[in-house]
Amino acid sequence: MSGFELSGLTASYGGERVIGPLSLDVKEGEHVALVGKSGAGKSTLIKLIHERVDGHASLVPQDLGLVNALPVFHNVFMGQLDAHPAWYNTVTLVRPFRKDREAVKDLLRELGMADKFWTPTASLSGGQRQRVAVARAIYRNADLLLADEPISALDGPLAHQVMKALSQRFATSVIALHDVEMALAYATRIIGIQDGQIALDEASNRLSAADIMPLY
Amino acid sequence: MHFSPTLRVSLLFLVIAIAALFFADIAITTANPWRDLGRFFLGVATPDFFSTEGLATALLRTVAFAFVGVALGSACGFLLSLIYRFYPVRIFCAFIRAIHELFWALIFLQFFGFHPLTGVLAIAIPYSGIFAKVYSEILDEADPGPARLLPPSTGIISTFLYTRIPDCWVQLRTYTAYRLECGLRSSAILGFVGLPTLGFYLETSFSQGLYSQAGAMLILFYVLIATIPLWVKPKLLPVYILGAPFFLGDGMPIIWGNVERFFTQDIIPAPLRDGEGLAGLGPWFSDLMLTEAMPGIWNTLILTQIALVATGILTLLAFPLISNHFGGPIRRTSGHVFLVIARSTPEYILAYILLQLWGPSMLPAVVALALHNGGIIGHLIGRQTNAIHLRPDAPTGYRRYSWELVPRVYRSFLAFLFYRWEIIMRETAILGILGIYTLGFYVDSAIQQIRFDRAMVLILITALLNIGIDILGRYIRRKLALQTMPTC
Amino acid sequence: MAMSYIRKILLGSLLAFTSLAVSAQTFVFTAIPDEDETKLMERFKGIADYLQEKLGVEVRYIPVKSYAAAVSAFRNNQVQLAWFGGLSGVQARSLVPGSEALAQGVEDVDFYTYFIAHQSTGLEESDTLPEGIRGKTFTFGSKGSTSGRVMPEHYIRQTFSEAPEDVFSRVGFSGNHTRTLRLVEAGTYEVGALNYAVWEKELENGNVNTDEVSVIWKTPAYPDYQWTIRGDVDDRYGEGFTDKVRQALLDMDDPELLESFPRSGFIPTANENYEPIRSVAEQIGILD
Repeated sequence: MSGFELSGLTASYGGERVIGPLSLDVKEGEHVALVGKSGAGKSTLIKLIHERVDGHASLVPQDLGLVNALPVFHNVFMGQLDAHPAWYNTVTLVRPFRKDREAVKDLLRELGMADKFWTPTASLSGGQRQRVAVARAIYRNADLLLADEPISALDGPLAHQVMKALSQRFATSVIALHDVEMALAYATRIIGIQDGQIALDEASNRLSAADIMPLY
Repeated sequence: MHFSPTLRVSLLFLVIAIAALFFADIAITTANPWRDLGRFFLGVATPDFFSTEGLATALLRTVAFAFVGVALGSACGFLLSLIYRFYPVRIFCAFIRAIHELFWALIFLQFFGFHPLTGVLAIAIPYSGIFAKVYSEILDEADPGPARLLPPSTGIISTFLYTRIPDCWVQLRTYTAYRLECGLRSSAILGFVGLPTLGFYLETSFSQGLYSQAGAMLILFYVLIATIPLWVKPKLLPVYILGAPFFLGDGMPIIWGNVERFFTQDIIPAPLRDGEGLAGLGPWFSDLMLTEAMPGIWNTLILTQIALVATGILTLLAFPLISNHFGGPIRRTSGHVFLVIARSTPEYILAYILLQLWGPSMLPAVVALALHNGGIIGHLIGRQTNAIHLRPDAPTGYRRYSWELVPRVYRSFLAFLFYRWEIIMRETAILGILGIYTLGFYVDSAIQQIRFDRAMVLILITALLNIGIDILGRYIRRKLALQTMPTC
Repeated sequence: MAMSYIRKILLGSLLAFTSLAVSAQTFVFTAIPDEDETKLMERFKGIADYLQEKLGVEVRYIPVKSYAAAVSAFRNNQVQLAWFGGLSGVQARSLVPGSEALAQGVEDVDFYTYFIAHQSTGLEESDTLPEGIRGKTFTFGSKGSTSGRVMPEHYIRQTFSEAPEDVFSRVGFSGNHTRTLRLVEAGTYEVGALNYAVWEKELENGNVNTDEVSVIWKTPAYPDYQWTIRGDVDDRYGEGFTDKVRQALLDMDDPELLESFPRSGFIPTANENYEPIRSVAEQIGILD
């Protein structure tokens, strides 16, 4: 089951309520785009959901959460640390096994960065770092994806490539997106957030960009 | 009149030090101190590298003890750092690092005798305590973000290895390498109590006035430390660590009965051991406190406070020597050489040399502590000033020093000084072994009289005093919001 | 990563070097470091060769940095024989039941301490400890020395009825007799007390500047240095080993070896000969 029904979602920051209280039901197979101004509470909502599903979801946070000192391979491999015993992971740190190397390489090829396999993530550009975080989320193999602006540093074709990969690999997803066109193109359902509340909730095929603009 | 809190604290410590000067025994007692000093420098200028056949072996042993001791300390310290959040572990670590390497060596000598283990443990034990603290501070600084993103059922070992260690690896490595340099100094001075390292031969040469021999050893020691970046390479490290245990020398066999005897008889207070029971313990303890501990504590405190302020003054005088804001390249190079020598020479060796030259009083100890610690802090502060960009029309000379630079580095200067307060006290206590009446003098006397019960009580008191100063130093640093990185 | 294997290496290496050791049958001895180390090394290397030839076992001398280290090594059975001073011998024998004083130098039956003074003090040689030393700076030898600490302190207390710290303006411990001589000669300390034999030897070898330093008082006689052996050596090196060692020491007649001590020869002694030293050490409070 990759859908969820959550109610009483609420968060405060410095004594001020930034989100909720609100309820959110997402069914399996739905691809939800969260839209709204920056500061509306999208990031907070993503974090809240991640906590409420007990981490049983692939997450791409806004700050990406990469381990800068490790190369791209290890950052991606981290998505499956739970699949192996500690000794296996330890050996992999020093010398990765062939089958993991190939699995990760295929994934990176799909995201257009097979050439950066051994580069420490600290020395990558913003867009490259974003794709490493996306690759890690995909490699994690969860059914549910929670992502916070995963393509903010990517342009045109690459952004589409990543969004395509994400919508293919996950049964269900909740993605905070700044870009309304992208939201309409890849989501099945659009939720607009304004001042911590749901201001819009509609299937994407019944909306146009003009319907969403008032939120900004 | 309004003073900033940092200035108020500085003045307070200055006043305390001046007051302490009235109680301190400061004198040059030799009839001809400058002639001896001249002979010493002549000796350093005409080093004799081939006089002692043992010199090469001593250097090798010094390096071997440092490597094994630091490696063992770092491994144990690392394990301890993982459980450092538990209060008893913190206390334990604070305790083992509050006891100086030389005291540990003196303790182990009593039951392991001249076995390599004595020297190895003397370095490894206090270093474990220091490593545990610093490692845990470094690990706590790691970005917690990545760990939260891992699948929920990931094991703690994998989590730790993938998210914490890589993030801290550079810092851990840098600090460990830095500690190796400290380890070389520690290893060298262990010779003064009889282990086969450099200090052993240095003491022999110095006490007989063979300054050319002593000069050669000092020069080799500086070269050894200055060239660390050349011969300590990550790839060679496993070779060194594997090889080092084989170069510690054989020493004498360990007899385990001695260990048992030490813990079950020797360190039991005499009245209990002789069956006088608790009734005899009171007089025994108060005698010890009155005749040895109290005078020792008093002298240790006096000397520490004077040395601390002297270190501060020397630092403020010395940092311009290597600062880009003053002088030309020649001045700066000689400044660097001076500071390298000052900070590479262990306080103990400096104090030993000055005591030989100036005669016994607190003066050689103050100068030794100020030179070594001032060398360390002066180097760090000087480097810090090099990162400061002054406006093009900034004043020059003394006004640049006093208006532009000192105010900018003063806080970190104080931070380093208070960080080293506890280290200065630990060294002050140890210098007693050389004949200055600090706690180390009484510890050494008790050991010379084969009264280990008394020695242990005095070492314990020394440790508590160090822990107290450490807490006070941290309190002051927190109050003044001073931050620093660890030094040794 | 690197950590875990460093740990393994360390464990292995710890085990490796605990097994390194001196062969069990080596007979090891030490001596209190009462003089310059170079001299001690020369002297006792000679003694080691001599004993090895006489005893037919491997004999090794190990140098130590303090009197207490010599006593501890003896007590810990890391050495089996030692050349002790009066006090260190008493300490060692009370810590090791069964150990015995084997032989002493001919001169050690009646040993003396010299009080010496720098010429600037204007002190002259006299029959009693001169009152004029009050208020001067003073150095003992090692803290654990008989002729450099115990006996001089005893006579200072007897003469002045005060502790040395109260008699003198400054009290130090030079470490050994040679250094006491050098420090007083240089004026670092105005007055010092040392083993008379060291003084005489240095004087004979022309190593004393008599314009700078001179003897001002000679203490009454007391017993001092002796060879002490552990009681369990017969079990370890064979029946009659103790007697063999004693005989070897008594038979020593190589003038060069004897001169290095300097002693004219060795004679038998026994533990009870050192009772006076014990009671003096107890009186001044450095022995329980």
